[in-house]
Parts: sequence; C-alpha cells; structure tokens
Amino acid sequence: MLSGARDGGQVTGLAAEGLVKRYGRSVALDGFALSVSPGEIAGLVGHNGAGKTTFVEIVSALTRPDAGRVSVAGVDVLAQPRQARARLGVCPQETSLYPRLTVAEHLRLFGALAGLRRAALRRAVTGIAEQLCLTEVLDRPAGLLSGGQRKRTQAATALVAERPVLLLDEPTAGADPQTRRALLSVVADRAAAGAAVVYTTHYLPELAELGATLAVARAGRIISRGGQRSLLAGLPGEVRVGFAGPVPAGLRALGQVDGTAGDQLRVVTSDAPATLARLLAAGAAPVSIDIRRPGLDDLYAALTP
Amino acid sequence: MVASGTAIRLAALSRHNTSLMLREPGPVLSRLVMPLVMILLFRPLYLSALARHGVQAGTVQVVTGMLVMFSLLALSVVGTAILTERTWGTWDRLRATPVRSGELLATKALPGFGMLAVQQAEVLLFGVVAFGLHVGDPLLLAAAVVSWALALLGIGTALGATLRSQSELNMAYDIGGVVLSALGGALIPLSVLPGWARAAAPLSPGYWAMSALRSALQGQAGPTLRAAAVLLAVAAVTAALGTWRITRGWSRSRSL
Repeated sequence: MLSGARDGGQVTGLAAEGLVKRYGRSVALDGFALSVSPGEIAGLVGHNGAGKTTFVEIVSALTRPDAGRVSVAGVDVLAQPRQARARLGVCPQETSLYPRLTVAEHLRLFGALAGLRRAALRRAVTGIAEQLCLTEVLDRPAGLLSGGQRKRTQAATALVAERPVLLLDEPTAGADPQTRRALLSVVADRAAAGAAVVYTTHYLPELAELGATLAVARAGRIISRGGQRSLLAGLPGEVRVGFAGPVPAGLRALGQVDGTAGDQLRVVTSDAPATLARLLAAGAAPVSIDIRRPGLDDLYAALTP
Repeated sequence: MVASGTAIRLAALSRHNTSLMLREPGPVLSRLVMPLVMILLFRPLYLSALARHGVQAGTVQVVTGMLVMFSLLALSVVGTAILTERTWGTWDRLRATPVRSGELLATKALPGFGMLAVQQAEVLLFGVVAFGLHVGDPLLLAAAVVSWALALLGIGTALGATLRSQSELNMAYDIGGVVLSALGGALIPLSVLPGWARAAAPLSPGYWAMSALRSALQGQAGPTLRAAAVLLAVAAVTAALGTWRITRGWSRSRSL
C-alpha cells in the first residue's frame, strides 16, 4: 500500500513513492515522492529540469517509470493506467490545441472522452466556459484565439469534467492577468470541492494566493515538502532601518550599510522584534523602519541555489 | 456502463477525426479529382500502346494504374493526420484521457480508410461508366480494394508515426509514391520495363495492388487472393510498426 493520503484505509488523492526515471545517462527522476490529499493544492516548484514535467507524464501514464509506484484516487497508475486516467484532469505545460477546431469543439471532445454526454456535457461546457471567460469565443477556432484565450481553452479541456485529481503544469505561464485570475479561481474552487491538485509553476505569488502547500523539486527528487508557514518559519527575514544621515558608526557592525547616501542599515534576521530592540538599545534614532518577512521567493532561493 | 463509456468515446473520436479531415478538404479533393483527369488524358496513349491486346487491356491498365498511383499519393492524407497530431502535441493530450491506444488508432484510421476506399471506388466506377471497364467478379474486386486500402493505411500510419517532420513525410510520399507506382507497373506496363525493374517489381506493394485489381477485374480468384494476402501482410507489418511507435508516445521528457 502506498503511503499516500488515506481516507478510512483507502488511499485517496495522489500518492507517488520512489519514482525513478532515466533517459540513457540522464536521470530525470531520482526517488521522487509526493503525496497530495483531497482538497489540497500542492505547489510543485523547481528549476527547469528538476523533474516536474517527467513526474506529470508518469502520473498521466504517458511514460513508465524505471522504479517506484504512483496512485491516483486509489488506483495504481502502472497496473491500471486507463482507470487512473479516468480520475485525472491534466493540463500540460505546452499549449496543445487543434487550430481549426473551435473552443466549443475542444471542450465537447474532452468532455465526451471523460464520459460526459448530452445534457451533462452541455452543462459542463457552458459552466467551464463561463468560469474561464470563454463564453464569447466558444465558436472561434483555436488558431484565431489570443495567447490568453488559448491558455484558458487548454486549461478548460482539463477542467471540463470534474476529477478527483488535477495535474496542472504551469497553466499560467505567459498568461495575462485576466487568465491568471480566472484560472486561480477555478483551481481554488476545485480544491474546495475536494480535488487533490498538483500545480507546477515558476510564479510563486500564485501559490501564496492559492494557499498551496509546497513541494520543492531538485535534481529529480522532492527536497522540501510542507505548508508555507512551516517552511517559511525557519527562514530569515530582513529589518531595514533608515537614518536622517549616514548610519552611525557604532551601528554599522550590526548589519549591512545600504542606500545611496549610506543612510540605511539592512539586517538579515529570524527575529525581527529582537533585532529592532537591539538596534534601539544601541542608540539608533531611525527615521524609517521596514520589516520584511521571508516569502516564497526566499524559500525557493534558499532551497535551489 | 463500461460499454456505454467506450461507445461515447468512440463516437466522439470518430466525429473528431472526421471533422479534422473535412476541415482541410484540399488534399482529399485533389486525390479524388486528379486520377479522373489523368485517366481522361492518358487513356488514348495506353490504348495505342496496348492496341494488340485489345481496347479492354488499355482501359484496365490506365484505370488500375492511375488508381494505384494516386492511392499511393493519397498516403499523405493518412500520414499527415498522425504527424500533425504529434507536432500539435495533441496526441499526448488524447493519450492522457481514458481512451485506449487501440481506440485512438482505430478512430484515427477510420476516416483515412474511408477516403481511400471512396477514392478507389470512384476511379473504378468512372472506368465502368465512362469506358465500359469490365468487372469480372465484384466481390474479388472488393477484396482487392479493401486489402490495398488496408496496406496503404498501414504504410501511412508507419510513416506518420516514425518520420519527424512534414518535409520528411512529403519527401517520402513524393519519391515513394512515384517510385513504387512505376516499379509496380502502374505508370508503364511491366512488360515494357527493363529486366532489372521487372525483377524488382514484387518488392513494391504497388505491384501486388496492380496484380490484385487486374486479376479481380478478370475474375481470377487465385491470383487475386494471393496478391490480396501479400497486401494484408504488408498492412499487418506496417501497422504493427506504426502502432508500436505510436504507443511509445513522443513525450517531451523523452528528448532529455
């Protein structure tokens, strides 16, 4: 049994364990493990080549791993790939649409392949088109859509049928703000309805907005996994203190002098209040104080040098 | 429930693939019109060249010859249908749905098979109606047409699945179509080809297609079925190669 999220003994959501994938001498995945519970959005981040897309391909049963196991909503992907895919919505990284087919034809095709028919299919197409602001372009061929509309259409084909597990591989890469907002809203809704979502991105503020947990991939494995708060807790923030003139000589050793006139002192710290108290006790008379908490960018930079 | 799900998927994919073909009607239309034009233009030449064998011989040669040559050229429709799915990245999108690989391939092949069958039927019917082409045994002729269409489908699938770009595909169709047609005796009767070409002719599927069609028109069961069996073997081998390549997929990470 995989050590994924369990519901009454049944593995649910997504569970991957010890995935290894080699292409010749190149190792794409090297013991990759990730579990995502129903209702959870897991932000999968990492440099290009960290193994994110290979992981998505393995979970989609497009590629077989050399070792390891993966299940989707309790179904073993390697033993029952078709049944696993029936529980999965996949939005690949590269936009892949039929230029001559309309948006509606795309949605009807992928809805029907997911098993929807007649009234249910019509409802699903109308619903996802409204949610992703595609209603106006339903009858337009994909080849005539703008970049943002193409992105939304691609995502809509993955979301037209409700699935217990969603794999969204950089769905907003290069997208305009309207596309980004619409997509994030639908993803949040699906998670709220109980879907386990893997969301890969290089745009970390999206993960903060989604309240996603984090999985940081590097060299084919997950090197850090947890909630944003717990992962950020160990990271240092920054206290930036401004002075009317140059930073007093007695304080310079406490941090790094910055600013065009050497009038700012920047101190990297895990305990901002204590640092500030120490500065004031040392006689600092600042004209401005700026405390910056660590963000996802700092976490990413710390984990993936 | 399972059967119902399969039926929904098959219907959706068949509609989808037919739509894709009909949205780009140019290649199909040209393959339907050109053989008729060429038959009209070249028939007098063939009648003259084969005059000592009678009018029927010239008509059989021009009809079957143009049929084989233009059905070989129509391979491009089958192969391009697969290649474009690869280059658009849509093949892997379909593979990531609950569809079986066999369902994907069958529904992709169906419109191509229909087009090839219609093309051959149209050319033969044109020969019968316009020039009094004699059909010895319609059932044998149907067997010849179906086995040739399946062989073409297999070859087209294998080429579309293995070649890397449209230019490679075009080159294969242009060179392959003309060479295999000529070698098979579709352009010039085998009897006037050089000795080495006559010896190499059985290597061309076009030779077996010409043989099956000509024998069927003459109502000869044995030679028709033998040639049809060779064509079915070509279909099986090339379809297996294409299927093997297609089911492996072209995922991005394979290029790592």
